Amino acid sequence: MNWRKLRTFLLTALVLCLIPATRYYQIDLPLLRFLRGSNHVDPLSLHLAGEFVENNLGTEQRADGSVTVRMIAQQYLFIPHCILVPAGVPVHLRITSADAVHALTFNGTEYAVKVLPGTISEAQLQFPRVGEYKTVCREFCGAGHYAMRSEVKVVPPEQFPALHPDERGNCEAQ
Amino acid sequence: MRRNDRVTYSRRGLLRRLAVKIATAITLLVGIATALVFQAQDGSPDHIPSYVAWTPETITSASSGDAFRGMLLAKRCNHCHGEEGFSPKASTPNLAGMNKLAMWKQLEDFRSRKRLSLAMGPIAQSLSARDVVDVVAYFAALPLFSDPQDDRVFPQSRTAAGQDTVASRLITFGDGERGIPPCQSCHGPVAYRTGVPSLATQNADYLLNQLEAFANGTRANDINEPMRTIASLLTEEERRALAEYYGSGLGLQSASSK
Repeated sequence: MNWRKLRTFLLTALVLCLIPATRYYQIDLPLLRFLRGSNHVDPLSLHLAGEFVENNLGTEQRADGSVTVRMIAQQYLFIPHCILVPAGVPVHLRITSADAVHALTFNGTEYAVKVLPGTISEAQLQFPRVGEYKTVCREFCGAGHYAMRSEVKVVPPEQFPALHPDERGNCEAQ
Repeated sequence: MRRNDRVTYSRRGLLRRLAVKIATAITLLVGIATALVFQAQDGSPDHIPSYVAWTPETITSASSGDAFRGMLLAKRCNHCHGEEGFSPKASTPNLAGMNKLAMWKQLEDFRSRKRLSLAMGPIAQSLSARDVVDVVAYFAALPLFSDPQDDRVFPQSRTAAGQDTVASRLITFGDGERGIPPCQSCHGPVAYRTGVPSLATQNADYLLNQLEAFANGTRANDINEPMRTIASLLTEEERRALAEYYGSGLGLQSASSK
């Protein structure tokens, strides 16, 4: 193998390895956006079509046992208002804003997710302990900001209801 | 002469161009086919609360009505909503001076059956899109306060509900513990969101009915479900207290005094 071929191969491998890293660190470049798929949504028409329609919000169970949680932050609520997740299981959070910039934080943990209108913010969370975590908005978002709170209910995995792929879990279902 | 400058292609060049075109067409067809397949896989139908989205174009078209034409159309509204936009029945909303976009959205939802009402459904469906915009412009132009020069009687505050701490605390501060935002941060007078009505001169019975409907899900046309969430977080006494507080007209007084 000559040197040029090896160099090309190594550089390609390096770039391919960097793509997942950019997803984790939320680096945004047009080419990378093209490669990993767009994470842009129209904040004004979240309710009409796409990932954040009403019946798709909440906890979705994945085949590998982990869960995906989809939320909307809107002045001055997190929707759904109470989310239900199993303990000790990877939680993929996907959240977007319908109006202003919000910041979703979970009391008692170090997780903080900045929520921007027009962009889907993603985070990998895990709640090892069973209990209720208050979620608080920590980015001033308007007159009602100080009451913008909701909660996460963490239940033992065996208490988490078995969900149909089209079904979304929330506190009421429990 | 431009016409004489045309480049002539060799047969090989033509073939190459043809190949590129065919490749593009195949790529496009494959793309469309995969998109269709993915759409077909998405089984359950989406629940859409309302077809309204507050794009700048929507806001412009919804707020550019002809109030005079609206006045002529609004003759048929007078029986329930009152000559001056103040309803004689407490279960029917007052429309005088209400936000244009708020009224427009509700009429559009009645038209598209996203908000159900035995009375308003058929009436709204008999209106055209332009009628809705004009009627809304008329009601928004009706005065909320009495003018010293005319002798019309405007609704006055009926009770001394100013002492009602449950309602006034929820309106000014909300409840951070339960995550209930203050009413006044969206319904005024502190701040308004797009398409949100002011509640200052609304009827108590109407407000209570709507809060109950939001809480039990019979009314579900709020975009991204804020009111369904808040109404179900409130207790029954709180809903009643809020409806009475706003219904007594005190919200407006605090708005004018602040």
